[in-house]
Amino acid sequence: MAPDTQLTALVVAAQRGDTRAMNALLDRLVPFVGRLCGPIALDDGPDAVQETLTTVFRQLPRLRDPAALFGWVRVIAVREAVRIASREPHVALSDLPAPGDPQLATDIRDVLDRLSPEHRAILVLRDLEGLDERTVSELLSVEIGTVKSRLHRARGNFRKAWSR
Amino acid sequence: MSGSWPVADLDPVRRLRVLAGANPGAMFGETVLDADVERVWTVASDLEVELPRLIHDIRSARVTGRSGDRLELLAVGTFGQRARFDVDLRPGWCWMQSRFLIGGLAAVADGTGTRVAFLGGLRLPGVRVLRPAMRPLVAGVLRRLAADVG
Repeated sequence: MAPDTQLTALVVAAQRGDTRAMNALLDRLVPFVGRLCGPIALDDGPDAVQETLTTVFRQLPRLRDPAALFGWVRVIAVREAVRIASREPHVALSDLPAPGDPQLATDIRDVLDRLSPEHRAILVLRDLEGLDERTVSELLSVEIGTVKSRLHRARGNFRKAWSR
Repeated sequence: MSGSWPVADLDPVRRLRVLAGANPGAMFGETVLDADVERVWTVASDLEVELPRLIHDIRSARVTGRSGDRLELLAVGTFGQRARFDVDLRPGWCWMQSRFLIGGLAAVADGTGTRVAFLGGLRLPGVRVLRPAMRPLVAGVLRRLAADVG
């Protein structure tokens, strides 16, 4: 893929303190971060977006490769969303729906409400971002076996728990 | 997969909080006004009228160029000093930058009122030490805006 020269220029300008570049960069990042934080943090989604972008801009001077921006932001967004969503205790299902599960197609929000923030993060990274298991495990700092078991052992248990 | 995944947004006041965190030389404040957001923004976004009212160090402000939501604005200070600002102006959002100054104003509906936020600061290294001196500026801007929309 050709490098996004406009994005690179924005990152470099923002790193040098150009606040209009920061503003333009926000226009590019808010939809991306909002798509990640919304399904993981649910009602706390706006808090998660704000905290993510605050961290991103504080640490932006340390980003050495502007082309890595979105991957770097994804890591921060998922971690912030899980952290903020975990502030409230909750009862959650222990397993995830399989890809294409009809329940997901009919009411994603209801499915998300029944999962823990960590499980929601795995689901988002797999189904929305299309990442493989190894990348998901690295991004969430969990063992790949844990990701695999949550993803593949899931269907039967999920369906049983769902129908209760 | 079909269905609608929830998407989180960043409203203008939250957006200004993010830029406040990114600019440690800036002072930031917010409050809730007892007026609807349309009324507040109609007043606040009239920069030529409102900037000299809100910021007493500005004697006059004149829009010298406009392209969509991007404006050029010339501000003249009380001692005749001039500053050319690049401005991004959209509903609920105003961001201004000159060579040495930054400023931001944001508004979002909050119940039947409006949450407004203001940011002002210098674009110079080491200006964090000046932040306490700028605190009255932020409080004054929010107080005068409340009076203007009241």
